[in-house]
Amino acid sequence: MNLIEALEFSRKPVAQDAKLLRVFLACGFTPLHLQSFLSAHLRQQFPDNRIEIKTGLFGDLAGSLERLDATGYDGTAVALEWPDFDSRLGIRELGGWQVSDVHEVISSVDRQLARLQRALKTAARSAPVVVSLPTLPLPPLFYTPPNINSAEKTKLLLSLAKFAADLSEEPGIRIVDSQALDSVSPPAGRFDIKSEILSGFPYKLPHASALAQSLASLLQVRSPKKGLITDLDDTLWSGILGEVGVDGVNWSLEHHSHIHGLYQQFLSSLASAGVLVGVASKNDAALVQQAFDRKDLFLRKENVFPFEVHWHRKSDSVQRILKSWNIGPEAVVFIDDSPMEAAEVKAAFPSMECLVFKKDDYQSVWDLLANLRASFGKTAISKEDSIRLESLRSAAPLLDALGQDGNASDEFLKRADAFVSFDFTKRPKDGRAFELVNKTNQFNLNGKRFSESEWTKFLADPASFLVTVTYQDKYGPLGKIAVLLGKVHEKKLHISAWVMSCRAFSRRIEHHSLKWLFDKFDADEAVFDFQSTERNGPTQDFFLELVGDPPQPGLKISRAWFQEKTPPLFHRVEEM
Amino acid sequence: MPELDDRLTRCFASVFPALRPDQIQAASVETVPAWDSLAAVTLIAILEQEFDTPIDLMEMPELTSYSAVREYLQRQIK
Repeated sequence: MNLIEALEFSRKPVAQDAKLLRVFLACGFTPLHLQSFLSAHLRQQFPDNRIEIKTGLFGDLAGSLERLDATGYDGTAVALEWPDFDSRLGIRELGGWQVSDVHEVISSVDRQLARLQRALKTAARSAPVVVSLPTLPLPPLFYTPPNINSAEKTKLLLSLAKFAADLSEEPGIRIVDSQALDSVSPPAGRFDIKSEILSGFPYKLPHASALAQSLASLLQVRSPKKGLITDLDDTLWSGILGEVGVDGVNWSLEHHSHIHGLYQQFLSSLASAGVLVGVASKNDAALVQQAFDRKDLFLRKENVFPFEVHWHRKSDSVQRILKSWNIGPEAVVFIDDSPMEAAEVKAAFPSMECLVFKKDDYQSVWDLLANLRASFGKTAISKEDSIRLESLRSAAPLLDALGQDGNASDEFLKRADAFVSFDFTKRPKDGRAFELVNKTNQFNLNGKRFSESEWTKFLADPASFLVTVTYQDKYGPLGKIAVLLGKVHEKKLHISAWVMSCRAFSRRIEHHSLKWLFDKFDADEAVFDFQSTERNGPTQDFFLELVGDPPQPGLKISRAWFQEKTPPLFHRVEEM
Repeated sequence: MPELDDRLTRCFASVFPALRPDQIQAASVETVPAWDSLAAVTLIAILEQEFDTPIDLMEMPELTSYSAVREYLQRQIK
């Protein structure tokens, strides 16, 4: 994007009632074109929003952050450069490059980093903070030749690395990956010394655009994809299992098939991060089981569910896997070495990303792995990530027990030895509750998504409540699977958000959640901020069953009516 | 040079969105209140990208109207 495009794009009309997205841009230099590019890239990321960017004082980044009231913003973007840590690391202030100055610079940088760290953590309590570490080169102030790494420079880099490592662990703070930025903005083409001296803006325009794009992309909450379905022959391993046998398939350097081992290792990594991995293969099922018994396979059998191995169409296998996972095709990636199979699945599931594993094109496989990490990457691993696969596997008896109407029998539920706990603690940084509200589609009261700042503000309201529901039964734990958000006023519940993971369907957890809310607040009536969406059919079915009519916006249910209509509940219950 | 005027008009319109198309060719520091030092730096940056030619910021004091900018560019891209 060049500057004229950025200005034109930023000024494209938005709807009168478009939601305002307020971002604070903190930088020590004149924001100038970085602000224009940030505005344009934010418009690209948030096309339905009106963008407003405020900036701080020139030359006082730390002060601007300390004075910032982040509650008034939806996010803060911070573009750090070396002079923000000590002006002697810039070129606009003169008189500090003596050999004797260098040690003092290092100490002063440590102090300033500590100051910035405090200010950034404070800001992140209210709204997300995205940070870029210095993108421009250090000036030639060290006495060593530039091709020799000096101890002093290394100490500076170490201080910065510690600063970044500490901030990266902070919920609400995200740091631009410098290698990712390098790939789109080569370091040698970033610094504009003339512009820095004459106007106080240090970036060449392409770098300003690339940096703004990186910052804008980190301000957006993006739900990662949830599942990956892989082929086996010439994809997970090299060779056709039915032809070369269990010992004939390979993934090693000596067989020139190492790229398949790399792919296995990557899938194992995804599985360990809570991504569902399933297999769809036209193959002999018994042979595949034997192949997965091989000890040298990097993707273990336990990490895969389900296996769809037969000679039917791949799209049939994918359909069954989606049913087992109970997620939509848009949350899944399908990978096969055959372009025809990928096309067949794509035709059946247009919203699914279907990719071809080009085993002879190493660069293509490398790019594939990078793209998969981009699709499945998450900012933190939750407890639910570690139990997701097991809970799906353990749900199989329940699925088998479901009747024609999709409901399990009372007898089955009674024997499930289920335990539900309700947690009313409002933790704005509970990533799992926030994630559930922002990614759940099927059992979702209205499809409403929250930005991080909206979430924080809602929870800061003393009248609001947040209920996080955790479930387990004799088949295993499901972890945190439901969230209700609302307010109570004069014995009336106003429920503004209600989501439940699809893994938790058919267990009457939704009934018990509502019962618990009525009891907890001694409420006479619940008013639901209901909206039908393309995807929330299960929510509509729940209310239809309860009320007898299709739900409408503003739906009200009295406690007496609920008590009369709700089915028997067998869970043991605890409030945390 | 109609093409030069089209491109230059687009540059001015992006920096001074409040100007109507018929006002752009008469624009100058005196007639456009929004033409401050920040707008001038932005205009120069846009012209450099659009016309792929470096503009010395020292020339900025001379580039105070549409016609002055037009004449300057004509000389530069000849």
